[in-house]
Amino acid sequence: MQTIQALFQDFSTLYIQEYKPTWLKVKLQNATDIVEVAKALQSNGLTVISTVSPTDFVEDNRIEMNYFFEDILTKRNCWVKVDIPREIEQCVIDSITPIFKGALWHEREAYSMFGVRFTNHPDLRPIIVSQDFYGKTPYRRDFDWAAHEADTLGNIQAIYEDFEQEQAQNETLLDSNSSQMILNWGPTHPASGPIRLKVHCDGEDILGIDPDIGFVWRALEHLVTKKDFVGAIVAVERLCFMDNINSMVGYCQAVEEIANVEISEFAKWMRVLLGEVSRISSHMMGMGNFYNSLGLHTAFMWNVDVREYFLDFLESYSGARIATAAIEPGGVRYTLEEGMLETLQKAIEKFDATKEEIRAIFVKNPTMKSRATTKGILSAQAIEEYSLCGIVARASGVKTDIRLDEPYAAYDQVQMDYVTQQGGSAADRLKMLFDEIEQSVAIVRQAKAHIVANIANGNFNPTKDHMVKVPKKLPKGEAISRVEWARGEVLMHLVTDEKATNPYRLKMKAPSFNHTMILGELLKGESLSDIPLIFGSLYICQGDLDR
Amino acid sequence: MELLFNITIFPGMLYFLAWTVLLFWFFRKFMAALHKRVGPHFNGPAGSYQTLFDFTKLLTKESVTPSGVNPYLFSLMPILAALIAMLPSAFIPWTPSTTVVPTEYGVLALVVLIGIEPFLLFLSGFGSDNKYSFLGGIRILTQMISSETAFFLAALSPALLFGTLNLQTITESASWLSFVVLIPAFVLYFIALLALLEQPPFNIPDAEQEIVYGFYTEYSGTNYFLLKFAEFAEFMAVYAGATVLFLGGYKGLLVDGYLCFFLKMLLMAMVMMAIRAATPRVTMKQMIRLFWQYLVPLSLLNIAWIMLAKIYLLGGMA
Repeated sequence: MQTIQALFQDFSTLYIQEYKPTWLKVKLQNATDIVEVAKALQSNGLTVISTVSPTDFVEDNRIEMNYFFEDILTKRNCWVKVDIPREIEQCVIDSITPIFKGALWHEREAYSMFGVRFTNHPDLRPIIVSQDFYGKTPYRRDFDWAAHEADTLGNIQAIYEDFEQEQAQNETLLDSNSSQMILNWGPTHPASGPIRLKVHCDGEDILGIDPDIGFVWRALEHLVTKKDFVGAIVAVERLCFMDNINSMVGYCQAVEEIANVEISEFAKWMRVLLGEVSRISSHMMGMGNFYNSLGLHTAFMWNVDVREYFLDFLESYSGARIATAAIEPGGVRYTLEEGMLETLQKAIEKFDATKEEIRAIFVKNPTMKSRATTKGILSAQAIEEYSLCGIVARASGVKTDIRLDEPYAAYDQVQMDYVTQQGGSAADRLKMLFDEIEQSVAIVRQAKAHIVANIANGNFNPTKDHMVKVPKKLPKGEAISRVEWARGEVLMHLVTDEKATNPYRLKMKAPSFNHTMILGELLKGESLSDIPLIFGSLYICQGDLDR
Repeated sequence: MELLFNITIFPGMLYFLAWTVLLFWFFRKFMAALHKRVGPHFNGPAGSYQTLFDFTKLLTKESVTPSGVNPYLFSLMPILAALIAMLPSAFIPWTPSTTVVPTEYGVLALVVLIGIEPFLLFLSGFGSDNKYSFLGGIRILTQMISSETAFFLAALSPALLFGTLNLQTITESASWLSFVVLIPAFVLYFIALLALLEQPPFNIPDAEQEIVYGFYTEYSGTNYFLLKFAEFAEFMAVYAGATVLFLGGYKGLLVDGYLCFFLKMLLMAMVMMAIRAATPRVTMKQMIRLFWQYLVPLSLLNIAWIMLAKIYLLGGMA
């Protein structure tokens, strides 16, 4: 930390603060310094950029840029802030993409949503938003959504014209003497989900891929600002409902930090318990989807069969199987009643009964291995270069896991270790999923035993301890909170105003964004058959890709 | 009169329709069990009407012909595919007395008619004027060229062994000993069969995750029904071929007859389904390598083995 702090002596700063055990919060005076700062940080080991998040302060007439630099190996992180003017013409800052490749899409997103222009950015096109939002700034506080939506016909026209133009452009791209073509893989493709990969291919060989995302853009980050702090959880959990608990945990921690509320020990353990169940349910779908992409549906069906039992537990706890809305600022929403843990016990038993079968048939499948061990290989270096996280990073042997790096909830008391693989290939990522399900089940066992023991000796009161009161109005402030979500690191950057009843700005950094960004790199030179394999192995969810 | 019965009922149209409906239902139910789910359930006993309803629905649905294609080629192909797929049935000795066209060249007819089918499917993909269909068509050709060598060499080994191309004679001369001798050929035939029928792990031409539905992509309604029908008729032709060539046709353990023939075909369908439930799809390159590098040399070796066995085990039987 000292070395990072020393770095900033060369730059004029407004303040340097220690923030949380692993973070340093710095506000720069001059926006022109950002590239030099980024270079200095990178040479000191902070090689990962988590995200770039602008915050729009209309009254102060400024846009505050937030950069989150991370060092995933020695766990030193740096949060750099800098103000830039708000007027569209002057809203310009140097791009850090030439230094941090991982910022490529994050800067494009800031450009599409806030109109921040990045000089020296290699590919500053709008992303996520549909064509009718081009040149507009939907996430700025003064954007008139009603007026935009009133012009339905104009919006459709904009989308249509852009498509026509793209069609015309396609033809000029292709060599007419070859067998080249532009193939749309998605958005209505059996294996793609709502994403479009523009595949430029020559017969079966891929020459290049340009992902087109935003088909399930719900503007969640805008939506939360229209809701109160409790209501916002339903938007947050829709980041991707496969693992909805952990995203809510991340958001609630940020709210609790601003409200300065400490939740009860029981609630912390419940967050661990629910979070791991949710992670299991997500990973089981992930394994199934991996095999679906290889044309084998049995793995999905078998996993869903086991997953149902875990969903039974979520249902018994919250009344909902998928979108549970079970975590709330101040703790967990519901009391824990008798019988719920028995449902969980059944799920664990079901898992134990089937896991060897699933391991033998699907984790060690020879046909899968013959295809997947040589495809989609990511080195540990590439992980840092493109700022990847979660199982994708751990499959390449990078020890990163927010549960251990920056323990939240009750993870500081949980016995666990990094689960990694060394190969970094698609097959390793599949193996990671299965290993992590096993790890999560072990954590669920621990959490369950801990809760049962403490209820028995009277430390926990499951009908009262689940919530502490969080004031309806929050003071002015901002907080970041990181959680290890099923797919990787989720970073929530929450900003509140004076006497706030709803979030002023919530930036949700979700892992699939970076993982989709590298698709083009991974697939170049491969064949069409590898698209679903590599796409499936990166464990991408369009929900948190588009938000 | 008998010919009319043969064409319309057995082993003709109605037989194939019944086979398609029943086998489709059986596939669904069998697959469901392997997937740990229920499968068709509500319509009819054990959901058996489901497939019937599905086919009726397809027959009554609008058949969309995309603009920009040759409508004749586009609609002719499914009909041709279905017809050609049913033709081998005429040469198969279903029971000791039912062979519609008894000929000395049964094996040849079988091999040729089965071999034509992929070309028709390629043309249906080619005629669709769709990138996915076209890729599917190209893939089907590649796959056919790779798998047919092994398939034909395996299919011809019984003919070599028994010294005849007459399917009836082959069935009658089959014995336990000849069955054992033909096991390598049967294994080769079965692997090549999976590729020829575009079944997993060789369902590359209609790999839904890669190229949507391959050559099927643009087909709907009646045309789609005909293509599906052709696919199932092709199943029957290939299974029946295997049954006659390697498994002794209608000969049974206790009684001879059509039932034995049917059970043998069903057994092959079950093995095929089990492979489908446990094996992911391989890639084009892997498929080509498997066939040219391993199966073609192996089938040549198999021919040598058949010759040796014929001379030393079966005493040079004519």
